[in-house]
Amino acid sequence: MSSTSTSTSGSGERPSYPVKSSAKSLRNQAIMVSLLVGCALITLLTTVGIIYMLIVESSGFFSGENIDLWTFLTGTEWSVGRTQGDTFDYGIWPLLSGTLRITVIAMALALPLGLITAIYLSEYAPKGVRAILKPTLEIIAGIPTVVLGFFAVKFITPNLLAPLGEIAQLGENFRTFNAAAAGIAVGILCIPLVASLAEDALRAVPRSLREGAYGLGSTKLETTIKVIVPAALSGIVSAFLLAVARAIGETMVVALAAGSSPNFTADPRLPSQTMTGFIVHTFKSESVVPGTVGYHSIYAVAAVLFLITFVITLVGQIVRMRYREVYN
Amino acid sequence: MSDDKTKYYSSPKNESGRKVRSQLFAIVCLIISSLAVVILITLLATIIVKGKKTLINDTAAVAESTDSASDDPDAQAKGPINWNFLSGVHKENNPEESGIGQAIIGSALICFLCALVAIPVGVGTAIFLEEFQPRNKILRWIHGLVQLNISNLAGVPSIVYGILGLTAFVYLFNVLPSIKVEPTPIPWEVGADHWYQTRTLGRSIVRFRAGDRTETPILLEKNEICIDGDGNEFELKIVDKRGDAPADKELRKGYALKGRRASMIKENYPWYFRLPFGKSLLSAALTLALVILPIVIISSQEAIRGVPRSIREAAFGMGATRWQVVRKTVLPAATPGIMTGAILSMSRAIGEAAPVIAVMGSVLGTTRGVESLMSQTPVLPVTIYRWAGDENPGFENASSAAIIVLLIVLLIMNSVAILIRNRFEKKLS
Repeated sequence: MSSTSTSTSGSGERPSYPVKSSAKSLRNQAIMVSLLVGCALITLLTTVGIIYMLIVESSGFFSGENIDLWTFLTGTEWSVGRTQGDTFDYGIWPLLSGTLRITVIAMALALPLGLITAIYLSEYAPKGVRAILKPTLEIIAGIPTVVLGFFAVKFITPNLLAPLGEIAQLGENFRTFNAAAAGIAVGILCIPLVASLAEDALRAVPRSLREGAYGLGSTKLETTIKVIVPAALSGIVSAFLLAVARAIGETMVVALAAGSSPNFTADPRLPSQTMTGFIVHTFKSESVVPGTVGYHSIYAVAAVLFLITFVITLVGQIVRMRYREVYN
Repeated sequence: MSDDKTKYYSSPKNESGRKVRSQLFAIVCLIISSLAVVILITLLATIIVKGKKTLINDTAAVAESTDSASDDPDAQAKGPINWNFLSGVHKENNPEESGIGQAIIGSALICFLCALVAIPVGVGTAIFLEEFQPRNKILRWIHGLVQLNISNLAGVPSIVYGILGLTAFVYLFNVLPSIKVEPTPIPWEVGADHWYQTRTLGRSIVRFRAGDRTETPILLEKNEICIDGDGNEFELKIVDKRGDAPADKELRKGYALKGRRASMIKENYPWYFRLPFGKSLLSAALTLALVILPIVIISSQEAIRGVPRSIREAAFGMGATRWQVVRKTVLPAATPGIMTGAILSMSRAIGEAAPVIAVMGSVLGTTRGVESLMSQTPVLPVTIYRWAGDENPGFENASSAAIIVLLIVLLIMNSVAILIRNRFEKKLS
């Protein structure tokens, strides 16, 4: 089937005068095409595998005794893997709130910084500054996240947050592991992502818009804020959404810097376990035996994590596609 | 706001104020943007300050005190770099003597295997997406779905891939018996010898083949064909009482007491292979391949898209089939771009810790090192993670030294990628 379809597929572009491919080369092509389709199917299988595994294994969690979906989705106590015996709390909100706290802190840092960097790179930066700034961002983007986690726990907390906390005379200083340090580190790793995606969006704004604004007597600032940023807004929003998805899924930074106690609170000074942090800590403690509650709970948490990031990524893609349509 | 509006119609009075604001904004932008540079420098400085003590021999200190030099003659002889750290293994509670030798080998092996899987599959998918736009309805549907799917896969958190790897590769979706069942059954495997090991009355250690027996330990009942420590084969005779065996110590080595325990040991060949893969090197490599697959595909697609149309048309004009066009013209032209993307995604794979922890556990060291694809091995990012979180504060420096090594490896890989890009990019345009 694939052979006939693909050999005809080229005919539209192939010249119509009689050049003929030999039967052997057509057969080779058929074999190769089926191999290529096989490669492409692997990516589909990956998605199917993820969804299948999350559904099957997390249903193993919810089919357990005394466990219902409602408590899981609304409960504010989480003690799976922390208590011995059969009784444990399994409300996901402590983990979810940990993820939210860190994401909010990270985005408070990454979105403004990333956007301003993107604006500067796209509208203002002279060649020399660009030649420093661009590679710097690329290097930050390439740093393994475990390194940033190390930075958070060994530099941001003791050398940045602890002195700050003392100056501010907080009732209680930042703990060794806290949400703020992890949030800042996640923010750092999101800056290049926001900056490069937003810069692409800003650069895609047609020159004519800029020239129109200048022609009306606008300064560069007015052109940027009132014309270019609104024109690139969908691209910028999509960059923000992708950064949010990235921050939610970030694992090693929070595993190192945010601590391992699930707290349902808004205090950034306290340790907070996120969904990803819970998964890694469970794996690290090597208490994962298939069939146990701890094992199934990983899948339940991962299912929530996957669902959230999937939806945000999807919305981000849709927003970006729309923006592409505007100027093409 | 109303005041703002009047400024729009540019009365010359306000001109200077608006220009100043614009200038100011540019400066603010510059300051905020350069924060990225400050962050990077701070990060590198922190790591280098903490890590250099471990990584570099303090030659000054050695020269100062002759005592320490005589204690450790190696340190001086081997120059400025601490090779013990680069080649050593993790030692519990002993950060000074711990090393990252196994982790470097593990990372390199996993990265290599990962490339072996991800690059062909990724490039194949990219070719399918870019060069074969099928007319057949089903294929076209697959085509669109794959394209949509890839951008979504790129957004899936790597820890989810780790869990997928655990389910799919380590436990094979629990299709085959895995560690779920007690006692552990032997999975389907090749390339391993199972032995029972026991002690004779002559106090020597001997072993005999397990054959079909899987339980461990077993109690000796009948005579067995054994191999002793020197590799000689002989029959081990089982006796009921100690007195039944000859008194001579050498001869007693051929006898063992009935009911003595023999425990199972396993000897793996380098080609040892089992299903499911279990917590192994191979599982980790395959999982990382899944993690970087979307990146490989997207960068390969861009490289293929960059090949000028005229080249393809020339080949079609010669009567080439579509596959011939791809293989003989498009692929050679796109290779530098594909290589660059592949190396960059490899550097992503080498720094990933979360999926590896999920699949292989957070191993810090193994006694025997890598024996086969089914061995567990430490890798650099996991070592960094464990050391950074270790209660012994001495591991902090070891961890940053490992980070320096990892960053140097990444730097080399990225330089190679950039080199390839710059060297071959201009040829076609």
